[in-house]
Amino acid sequence: MNKFIISKKLYRNELATFYSFLIGFLIAIVIGSIILLIQSKNPFDVFSLMLKLSIGSVNSLSNSLNKAIPLILAGLGIAIINSVKLWNIGAEGQIFFGAIALNFVYINTSIENSYLYILLLLASGFIGGSICIFLPALSKVLFGVNEIITTLLTNYIVFGLTIYLINGVWKDPNSLNFPAAAYVSESVYLPTVVGKLSSGFLICILFTLIAYYIKDKSVFGYEMRIAGGSTLTAVYAGISAKQKSFVAMLIGGGFAGLAGAIELLSQTHRVSTGISQGFGYTAIIVAAITGMRPLGIFLVGSLFGALAIGGSVIQTIGVSSYISDIIQATTLFGALIAQFFFSYEIKRVKDD
Amino acid sequence: MKLKELKMIDVQFLGLINATLQAATLLFIAALGELIAEKSGVLNLGVEGMISIGAVSGFITAINTENLFLSILVGIVSASLFSSIHAFVTVILKQDQTVSGLILTILGLSLSSLIGKKYVGKKLNTKLEGVFDIENPSNILEIILGQNIIFYIAIILMIVTAFVLKRTMFGRRIEAIGEDLKSADSMGLKIGKTQFIATCVGGAFAGLSGVYLTLSYVPYWTDGMTSGRGWIALALVIFGGWKPYRTAFGALLFGFLEALGPRLQTYGFEMSPYIVKITPYVITIIVLILLTIFKNGDTGAPKNIGIPFFRENR
Repeated sequence: MNKFIISKKLYRNELATFYSFLIGFLIAIVIGSIILLIQSKNPFDVFSLMLKLSIGSVNSLSNSLNKAIPLILAGLGIAIINSVKLWNIGAEGQIFFGAIALNFVYINTSIENSYLYILLLLASGFIGGSICIFLPALSKVLFGVNEIITTLLTNYIVFGLTIYLINGVWKDPNSLNFPAAAYVSESVYLPTVVGKLSSGFLICILFTLIAYYIKDKSVFGYEMRIAGGSTLTAVYAGISAKQKSFVAMLIGGGFAGLAGAIELLSQTHRVSTGISQGFGYTAIIVAAITGMRPLGIFLVGSLFGALAIGGSVIQTIGVSSYISDIIQATTLFGALIAQFFFSYEIKRVKDD
Repeated sequence: MKLKELKMIDVQFLGLINATLQAATLLFIAALGELIAEKSGVLNLGVEGMISIGAVSGFITAINTENLFLSILVGIVSASLFSSIHAFVTVILKQDQTVSGLILTILGLSLSSLIGKKYVGKKLNTKLEGVFDIENPSNILEIILGQNIIFYIAIILMIVTAFVLKRTMFGRRIEAIGEDLKSADSMGLKIGKTQFIATCVGGAFAGLSGVYLTLSYVPYWTDGMTSGRGWIALALVIFGGWKPYRTAFGALLFGFLEALGPRLQTYGFEMSPYIVKITPYVITIIVLILLTIFKNGDTGAPKNIGIPFFRENR
């Protein structure tokens, strides 16, 4: 009789994560095509239209990259927190809270120099994200409360708070049907670089490099990896795992908060429910699919930004925008399946 | 006059009890399913997505066939099939349970939005009626008797699950696998098979919870209508210390708090409706923190939760 034994490969291909992503993306495209065929749409037409309207011109390409900014920043935050083997499912809430903190500072301060003011507002967004994850982080390191559930539930709380604010104290009387806060002054809009591309994308590049440095090159990153890997090793090395976890979570939350601030200053220009359309959740996929690598997050985030733009434009021909969400999620499932074949091997042994 | 006032308070109170039971049923069934999966060592963060899939598929079947029994069945089976994705990826392919579960939620929510798009705003002609026909219930017993069939199924499931986990070979095997994989393996238990089944049973429960949502709790379908209940169910499992009866108690408590929120105003508390909406989530976090402090971090979780199993080369 033949028996199958699964064992871990001793040698794992360096580019395994990249190949897995490609395979996952192919699987997702196939599944997306099947769904489109069921809805009696021609997948080739739909996908070519998506491609054309997401990267076909300077304008559409800059739309896609603008969309990628929150995905990349929130994804980087998730990756930094994952260095200590913790999960941040609360990026969605942190994005909103970043925007709320920005608006709070904007209402209560005034600076003549608009560049300084923009810097202050961006910083308040970052701090807002950190504040948002503060309670989950503190309860995690002090008492060991499951951070997955607390960060996730924070999303619902912050979203509720946003709706409360834009229907109450911050409600713009000029905005009749759509509840939202008042617009910020045009002087603090983030300037564009080329076409519609926001300078937020340059900030995004900068923070990708910062995250890469923190995670892979700095002493702090090294200590985070030890703290996340083995408690005993951390103790012997004199590293406080709790302290590292706490700081990592505050930084990671800040990245997502910054995403909310950039979204407000470059896209919505006011606090509304449109600050994030599930970016915090998509960012989880982006981070997980790249194995938490900052440079990978930058690339996959850009691709998923284009997918999101493509998904929103094909609504005009009667295709649901959810198709791009489904493609993103199935890409990760496909990549997980592919990962298996890179990490394990199946041996057939004769059983005598 | 006085009697009439008293009557009003009584009706309000009974309404609160009724809403508590309904909210608790919804949370409890999903939590019980997750409990079974976690007992076997499989953490499934996809509860929210599975509830959503069960809710939408049950609702669509109900609209098209008006056959409620069939709708319940379709909801259960589709959510269970959906959860088998997680079982396949984590049990057979041994990938990270956290990642897979999260994506199951994201995929479940977007997939159900896609499927349910044409059904948003449609009204159900048939609704799950109470098992006993009681008009204008006047006491708590009548409120309980007036609940629909899924409420009773939930009670039966609670008793059966507690019995199976504690008193049957199958239940003891699940627990052995969840607590100590290596020993379970050397005892010759079929780890993969047991975990796969436990995960799919968990999915089926979540599906039933979803059907309850769209056929009884709020009889219509909109995007994102699960509104975090799957995550509260996950917190409930921790609250219940992985024990069915204690989880049921927790569900009643959480259900009561969820039902109390919108009624606070009638009891004389002035609160913005937007703030009322977030109270269940705030309370869940507070309870979770207090519970973990109280238990000193040891919540009684199965030891092997979240750890994929494979035999080393032999």
